[in-house]
Amino acid sequence: MAQPGGDDRWDRSRRLGWIDVDSVLESHCLVVGAGALGNETVKNLALSGVGKVTLVDMDHVELSNLNRCLFFSDRDASGKAAKADVVAQGAMRLSSHCEVLPFVSRIEETDLDWTGFDVVFGCLDNIKARLHLNSHSRHHRVPYVDAGTDGSRGKIQVVRREGPCLQCSMNRSHYQVLERRFSCTAGDFTYYEPPMAAEVTTTATMAAMQVKEGLKILSGREDGCIRDVMFYDAMSNESLVLELDIDEDCPNHGM
Amino acid sequence: MTIEVTIRNAENGSNLNMELEPHTTIEDIIEGAAEFWHKEAGAYVLRRGKKLLKGQSTVMDAGLKNEDVLELIPDPEGG
Ligand SMILES: [Zn+2]
Repeated sequence: MAQPGGDDRWDRSRRLGWIDVDSVLESHCLVVGAGALGNETVKNLALSGVGKVTLVDMDHVELSNLNRCLFFSDRDASGKAAKADVVAQGAMRLSSHCEVLPFVSRIEETDLDWTGFDVVFGCLDNIKARLHLNSHSRHHRVPYVDAGTDGSRGKIQVVRREGPCLQCSMNRSHYQVLERRFSCTAGDFTYYEPPMAAEVTTTATMAAMQVKEGLKILSGREDGCIRDVMFYDAMSNESLVLELDIDEDCPNHGM
Repeated sequence: MTIEVTIRNAENGSNLNMELEPHTTIEDIIEGAAEFWHKEAGAYVLRRGKKLLKGQSTVMDAGLKNEDVLELIPDPEGG
């Protein structure tokens, strides 16, 4: 016998109550970065019902990505397939409702129409690109959810339309490694040696939290979002939510 | 007047006592602690309680007091 709601793809999501499924179905999200976080984040967005995802990443798949990226295969690595293309195809296989538009380029060199985005997700591996995304999100007043990982540690920062931004949380130690990529496959960045430890359970955890924050925003539940930064340590099972003030010297405020 | 604070290393739980001048900045504290623990170059933040401290703030601006405990936390930037 068929279960109630069994023929509605979003029935179990609707039963949560707090998710505004109709808003999610109509939403358009920007995801920048199609690495370990990007794979998981786009998967979560597609399964959650997001209607459209614009995905930007300039990199290609490498064999060393395969311990944590669900959409990548050996064939993608040997064929040096573009990460954005592979993730887009994989996510659209998961959900016929979700349209993923891949851009194989750096975010700084991608000409995007920012007026259409409901939420921006940062799945990046360098501070310079994060600052670019942060300033554009602020300028266009689109909420920005940034995630970062390092081995068993992770971080989520929710940048709302008002309030402190990513740059407000940064100090000299960030600017000293501004252009360093924290994972490396290509490009003309200063490489980080040795490559950073990374594994799927941490990236999957952080991407799940990141998308949960995005779903709150899409559902008008912004008040329930992390305020302002959450640090997570999988080895000690500790998570810590820290408040942040607007930095009066930060150029992203008062515009 | 100088104050003495304890910096806790979030990565291994060890502590460091630091004597600070009123004009010492949070960034100076981060750099001093990272150097003491021979940390790799990378992004770090400092918290007091539930507050993430602003890098350019001085000890005076941030209202740090004698015997405060601050924690140095690595800021993960990988993707
Ligand atoms: Zn700011």
